[in-house]
Amino acid sequence: MNKTETQYQPQPNSSVPVSGYIVLVLAILIFSGIFASSKGWITVFDFDTLNGKFGTMKDAAKATFVGAGGIGAKDGFMFALSLVPGVMLALGIIEVVEHLGGLKAAQKLLSPILRPILGIPGITGVALISSLQSTDAGAGMTRALYENGQLTDKERLIFSAFQFTAGGTVTNYLSSGSALFAFLTVPTMWPLVVLFVMKIFGANIMRFYLYTVDRRNAANER
Amino acid sequence: MNDKTIIDVFVDGAKKGWNMGVNNIIPNVLMAYVCILILQVTGLLTLLGNLFTPVMAIFGLPGQSVMVLFSAMMSMGGAVGVAHGLYTNGILNGTHITILIPAIYLLGSKIQYFGRLLGTVGIPAKYYPGLLAISVINAAAAMLLMRLIA
Repeated sequence: MNKTETQYQPQPNSSVPVSGYIVLVLAILIFSGIFASSKGWITVFDFDTLNGKFGTMKDAAKATFVGAGGIGAKDGFMFALSLVPGVMLALGIIEVVEHLGGLKAAQKLLSPILRPILGIPGITGVALISSLQSTDAGAGMTRALYENGQLTDKERLIFSAFQFTAGGTVTNYLSSGSALFAFLTVPTMWPLVVLFVMKIFGANIMRFYLYTVDRRNAANER
Repeated sequence: MNDKTIIDVFVDGAKKGWNMGVNNIIPNVLMAYVCILILQVTGLLTLLGNLFTPVMAIFGLPGQSVMVLFSAMMSMGGAVGVAHGLYTNGILNGTHITILIPAIYLLGSKIQYFGRLLGTVGIPAKYYPGLLAISVINAAAAMLLMRLIA
């Protein structure tokens, strides 16, 4: 797709990619509404079908504004909107915890155990805690630690393996995950505990690989 | 920094939540719902469901739940939307959601994280497949673990 775009832009008059004509025809079909009264799979080319419908208040005592029985884009929008208050509340609380030093306390408690459980130095504590909040913050800090010579190649890989699976763990789980909490058959904390266990497990797969199979690269270590 | 009251700090966090909702969760969930609708209308959901029934049965899940895992690779919020949609359609129940939820995050947003995490950190590309494999192993192990406690 990108390749055709770059070829296309310098001389807009001469070459329109074939895909351009195909999507144009599809777009006209979708917006024209000619399949509105059709049945079966062909209705995926109808805008109103894709847009779907809002749920309705079937049982007034239990219904929320999302309603029941909605489908498509409209239902997705209402459902997503219903997640927003939980996300705002969760991030508000996390921000306060951070402001009052809660994350620093977590980092202090964590530093001594990082070497035994993950094989990375205690100095990564801040980056590790940040990575649980924001994938991008964790990534930026990890890069800085490596560039300052505080992480070796191997340690950087192990730490990245930890961050790569379930990135932004706490923020993501408490925000989007909250939509599913009502359906869980176990306390909300359990899946979060499993996430941490698996992140540590995953990092140790990388640790094991690096110190056994990938040993040949040991000479490159700084 | 220190002249901020707790209320200001909370409101700042809530704003981040609003931006995340508007820029990330709503567009991704909307996309997920439209994708499920397309899969349903074309009958592909049933087809994929049947195809993956034997694999997903290992984890005590119906075949269609594989859609939750596929969409998780693109977006965590989208996968939550798919799971919620399948629950409302009666395809998934509470136990299924409980088994799936850690896997959504362990596999979550892999496509974005290649750039946002591994690219930023500067991990050599030869390790990408291994890192992806670790995520898949983690998700599978988490589903087996959750199956025991769900």
